[in-house]
Amino acid sequence: MTAAPTLPTDQHALAEEIYRLMVAQGAMFAIDTPIRQTLANLAAFLARREGRDRAELAAAIDAALSADSRFTREEVNGEVRFVTTRQGAYVPRDDTDTHSFKQRLHDPENPLPIDDISVVVSTSRPAITTVEPVYISDYWQMQLSAPPAEAEAEKVAAAEAPVAEQPVLEEAPPAPEVAPALVEEAAPEPAPMAIEAPAPVPVVEVAPEPAPAVLEIPAPVEEVAPEPAPMAIEAPAPVPVVEQPAPPVAPAPRPAQPPRSTVFTLSDGTAIDLRRPVDEIMAEYGDVLARVLAERLEHDPLQRIVSFGRKYYPEANLASFGKNDLRKIRDYILERNEPLLDTEIIADLYYHNPRQADYEGFRFSLNYRLHREKDFEFVGVEGAYLWATRGLPITGGKRVKAAEMGQITSYLVEGYDDSPELQSIEAIKQSGSVTRLLTFFEWEYGVLPLDAGLAALLPPPLLPEQRSAVLRFESPQHYTTYLVEVRFPAGNRGGWLQGLEEFFHEHLVPGGLITISRTGEPNLFHITYEEGPEQSERLLTFDEKKNRLAFANVSFYCVVDEDQLPTQSRYGRLNRLKAFPMGERRKAELMLEHVSETIGEQVGSPAAPRYAVTLDDLYVAFNVLRPGSRAYLKALLERGEDFSADESTPGLYYYTPAPRASAEEVEEEADELPEERPPLRQRYSSRYDEDE
Amino acid sequence: MDAKVIVFGETAIDRLLQWLRSTGQPQDIMDLVRQYLEILSKAVREENE
Repeated sequence: MTAAPTLPTDQHALAEEIYRLMVAQGAMFAIDTPIRQTLANLAAFLARREGRDRAELAAAIDAALSADSRFTREEVNGEVRFVTTRQGAYVPRDDTDTHSFKQRLHDPENPLPIDDISVVVSTSRPAITTVEPVYISDYWQMQLSAPPAEAEAEKVAAAEAPVAEQPVLEEAPPAPEVAPALVEEAAPEPAPMAIEAPAPVPVVEVAPEPAPAVLEIPAPVEEVAPEPAPMAIEAPAPVPVVEQPAPPVAPAPRPAQPPRSTVFTLSDGTAIDLRRPVDEIMAEYGDVLARVLAERLEHDPLQRIVSFGRKYYPEANLASFGKNDLRKIRDYILERNEPLLDTEIIADLYYHNPRQADYEGFRFSLNYRLHREKDFEFVGVEGAYLWATRGLPITGGKRVKAAEMGQITSYLVEGYDDSPELQSIEAIKQSGSVTRLLTFFEWEYGVLPLDAGLAALLPPPLLPEQRSAVLRFESPQHYTTYLVEVRFPAGNRGGWLQGLEEFFHEHLVPGGLITISRTGEPNLFHITYEEGPEQSERLLTFDEKKNRLAFANVSFYCVVDEDQLPTQSRYGRLNRLKAFPMGERRKAELMLEHVSETIGEQVGSPAAPRYAVTLDDLYVAFNVLRPGSRAYLKALLERGEDFSADESTPGLYYYTPAPRASAEEVEEEADELPEERPPLRQRYSSRYDEDE
Repeated sequence: MDAKVIVFGETAIDRLLQWLRSTGQPQDIMDLVRQYLEILSKAVREENE
């Protein structure tokens, strides 16, 4: 609180008295809140109390308070006011914020030195950070896409409009002309209305009565709701800027816009009109659009949306799986010793419940993560996501190597698949089952070529680069289950199924009729055959230890096609076939020559042999060594220079091998070039003899 | 939005991502395409209106 100044005694007493009165008036005010009184009020009050002349007293008060530093003299509209505060002289409050936390945080007064940038920049963050998408409202997008002509027109209109702002000094216009809304702007602080509210104050005009002690003082008005008009002029120091309402400006006429196109075009030229209903567009272009969108999302450098199979999910929402998780999953698959469903892994290792809200997201994350790991291989189909890992036993055994089988079954992708002739694709899709006869090769190795009929029945690969899928084949007749691996065709290699060797050997014989049917589950199929009375036949078998074909007595209980049954009585020469290594069996032309020579009827002479063989016999014998369709055999026969068809007998072919060098000639050649030439070979290479 | 400037798979893909996030679950590609078409159609319609 400031001390009272030194003044003449009467003035000092008067100023002290008024200061005391005004401080009492604003006793509930803040210490620096201005307390205002008009000179007229003060003079009227003191004149009545002391019985002095009002004008004389007003002059004395004016002189006393003007000389007192605790009071500030104001003159508004010709009315003199004095302002003071409870702490003395009134000093307008400065609201400028110079000590905000935000400012101190970003612009520290004494920043610490940075010796190593890695202290403040984390190196653990990825090089390419994920850019969080920012949703831009339609309003701004429309603003962005607004034509420049429109913006220009608005600018011109704004420039032509009269100036809306002009500085107005405090004493210039009378109060009512000031826009109410701008009064607050002019006033630096909410001003107490003090004496401007004289209505309830009956003090001044009621003169003759003796002055009451205290209550005659005009009640101070609390600085609350600002009453707009008169307060504007009370503003002290800063020069207010008063906006005057601009005269209405007629909106500039918008230039006519050409209608926007609603047709977008795909890269292949397909034009799609977005005015059409979405259902219609989906029905017509759904597959194309899905392919284009999937391709775009895959090549998105930010990888904001990732996919697994047909499912898509935001990359930012993926659950994380660390190395420990992957090791745990791999160990569990190895422990179970067979490919496992993702749902099994989640239930057994993570105890997630499908009813949990994040279950599907977690499941997607698991599949997405495993798919990116080299140690895991996806062997599932749509609806059943199976995972295998390195170290699992090969489904179907090791008798057939994938590389060799891929080449052996390549005739399927070369256009020699005649399976639709036996059972149409539509019928297979409709009935959900495939019926086929077993050949010797299929029966022996438990392998079925993945022809068009089987491909129509079995689920396609889920992932583009998927090599195989593991299915479960159930035998409802014997309550047994087999894991069957489907190897999908890739490039010029064909596909096949393997893993049915045990089932075939236990319940069937070559020539048996099997039926494979769908079930309600995408990876579960039924395999059945038609049971029959017991039969015993001397059938072709393969002795793997001796690596040779032989006939043996076999009892079986299934219905067979007699023409396909490799009995000794009908196909007695089949045991003369060489059991070529699988790598050699892919050479179809050589196999055909060998088969023709072995089972064909010799109709030539010993010097110029010629073998007659029917297509049906060739088919049975050829399929002992390797799979091959009738269409494929026909193509080989037509292509082969040593083969000729009998014009008179359909299905009968002649094989006339190229004349061999005589034994003497061969010996002579061997003597002449013993070092340079390889050892004498049999027709199909000596390695086969060694193998035998 | 003028449909001529639409690059299918790029334009307004952030809005598709926003929708995908809001669903909270992985979505089939066909559902994704359908929603994307809805977004593009809406953008074009709003502009024309």
